[in-house]
Amino acid sequence: MVDANARPAFGRAALRVFDLGLGQMLWSRRTVFMALIAGGPVLIAALLRALASLPTFDAGAGQIGGRAVSLDGPDIFGLMIWTFYLRFTVPVLGVFYGTALIADEVEDRTITYLFTRPVARGAVLAGKYLAYLACTAVVVLPSVTIVYFLVVPLLGGSIGRNFPALLVDLGLIGAGLAVYGAVFALVGAWFRRSLLTGLVFVFGWEPLVVVLPGYMKYLSVAYYLQGLAPHAMPQGDALSVIQALLTSVQTPLATWVNLAALALIWTVALAAAMRAVERREFVLGQ
Amino acid sequence: MPIHDHGYARYAGVRTQPGRAWAVIAGAGIGRMLSARPFLLVLLFAWLQFFVRAVMFYLAANVPQADVIAPSPATFRDFFDDQGFFVFVVAVYAGAGSIANDRRANALQIYLSKPLTRVEYIGGKLAVVMAFLALVTWAPALLLLVMQTMFTGSLSFVREHAFLVPAITLFAFLQVLVASITMLALSSLSTSARYVGMLYAGAVIFSEAVFQTLRGVTGGGTGLSWVSFSASLAQVGDVIFRVEPRYDTPWGVSLLAVALVIALSAWVLARRVRGVEIVA
Repeated sequence: MVDANARPAFGRAALRVFDLGLGQMLWSRRTVFMALIAGGPVLIAALLRALASLPTFDAGAGQIGGRAVSLDGPDIFGLMIWTFYLRFTVPVLGVFYGTALIADEVEDRTITYLFTRPVARGAVLAGKYLAYLACTAVVVLPSVTIVYFLVVPLLGGSIGRNFPALLVDLGLIGAGLAVYGAVFALVGAWFRRSLLTGLVFVFGWEPLVVVLPGYMKYLSVAYYLQGLAPHAMPQGDALSVIQALLTSVQTPLATWVNLAALALIWTVALAAAMRAVERREFVLGQ
Repeated sequence: MPIHDHGYARYAGVRTQPGRAWAVIAGAGIGRMLSARPFLLVLLFAWLQFFVRAVMFYLAANVPQADVIAPSPATFRDFFDDQGFFVFVVAVYAGAGSIANDRRANALQIYLSKPLTRVEYIGGKLAVVMAFLALVTWAPALLLLVMQTMFTGSLSFVREHAFLVPAITLFAFLQVLVASITMLALSSLSTSARYVGMLYAGAVIFSEAVFQTLRGVTGGGTGLSWVSFSASLAQVGDVIFRVEPRYDTPWGVSLLAVALVIALSAWVLARRVRGVEIVA
């Protein structure tokens, strides 16, 4: 005899919510935002490729219309991984989707329907988080791969020789999406103004603390994530120059330390987010 | 007291002159923002730089060894640069939901069914965001200039750099206008303030990322700074403050890029803020 009051197991419940959440995330207007973010670098890469095929491009001298192009394909790819993915796409998607996991349901006043189902509240968050990971990975990782194949062959770069770096990049971006998503799921579950808190953390706190001497930088995700990047750090603005200078005089953390720190942040943030969702009373505004 | 007569009564109140309704929207918006404690905290943080610089001005005026931190026109230019993050935060906080929330509640039709034109509605909303942005840019910058005069007890700095007051006013107005009108245009495109905030952050940071990539590819060349609208604004700001422009782009091109952003935002607002939805 089936017990009508029995709750489905946590894993099964999370998978059901994942199934529901994935459909909502993929077929919403927000996907346009994600496609724009992931499609932008592809467009730039295609433009660079088109420029390289123009008659004004002198591959031997490394010039376009007489203007020097100082980097080769793999370097340009490394630069794009830093400026577009590590510093922009990964944290922005983490903030946008991570904070929305619970905040959207509160804003749309649909959280009541989710919480009245016979599933653990933590499973709701876990399922939605898995949907976020799948959704962003499906869009962002192919974008990185396309950029790789468009950019790396430029100016004599070898696709085969640089392939291991691509795999590292894909792993790094996947890890970044997972950790930022977990951190901002916690922010979304805790704070009322979660988006603003997330934006301040990503664009105010993190760029500042990674250039400060001392231990402040350990209170960020970017420090550990950037420590794993296989490419040289670009030096465009003043903060990047300071960061590169500090990196050159400080002993970098070992790869396993960076990985362990990211794993710790991920575990603590996700567990705390689930606990917050389990315990918090969400008040729907007028 | 019971009402015995339900008959018609002519309106006996004061008739407001046409063209002043924007002030009602602006007043209500400013009052609502000021009643939010977290927003006041953001404003307080935005003034931190003012306090730090005021202390530096005091030291420069009173301690002979502190000459190295004496103010110059570049100090005021740097002040605006460093306030950029707070301009971003205040614009998102005060502007993201300004039209999006009205669209979400279907209040736009109600607003525009009153004796209120679209221009007045947009003007009122724009005034709210611009007022708070001016409070974290123009007001502290001008006050710093006043503090400098007070600490030194002399008007010589202001006389020597007479262009500073108009420069502060002009650049603050430009910076505030660009941030406000862009935010309002994005706000009119959606019904979710969160989505609008993200769109604004995406637009600002993505254009900067494109510029940094092109800069790296061209070996540090900054001739393509016009692709980033924050870089374009910075370039125009350098010219206004009479300091060495930081990028190779002609300032006229940067100004054109800024003007295009303003024009595009105004066009979006004109298309999206309507009393009725036009279904094609």
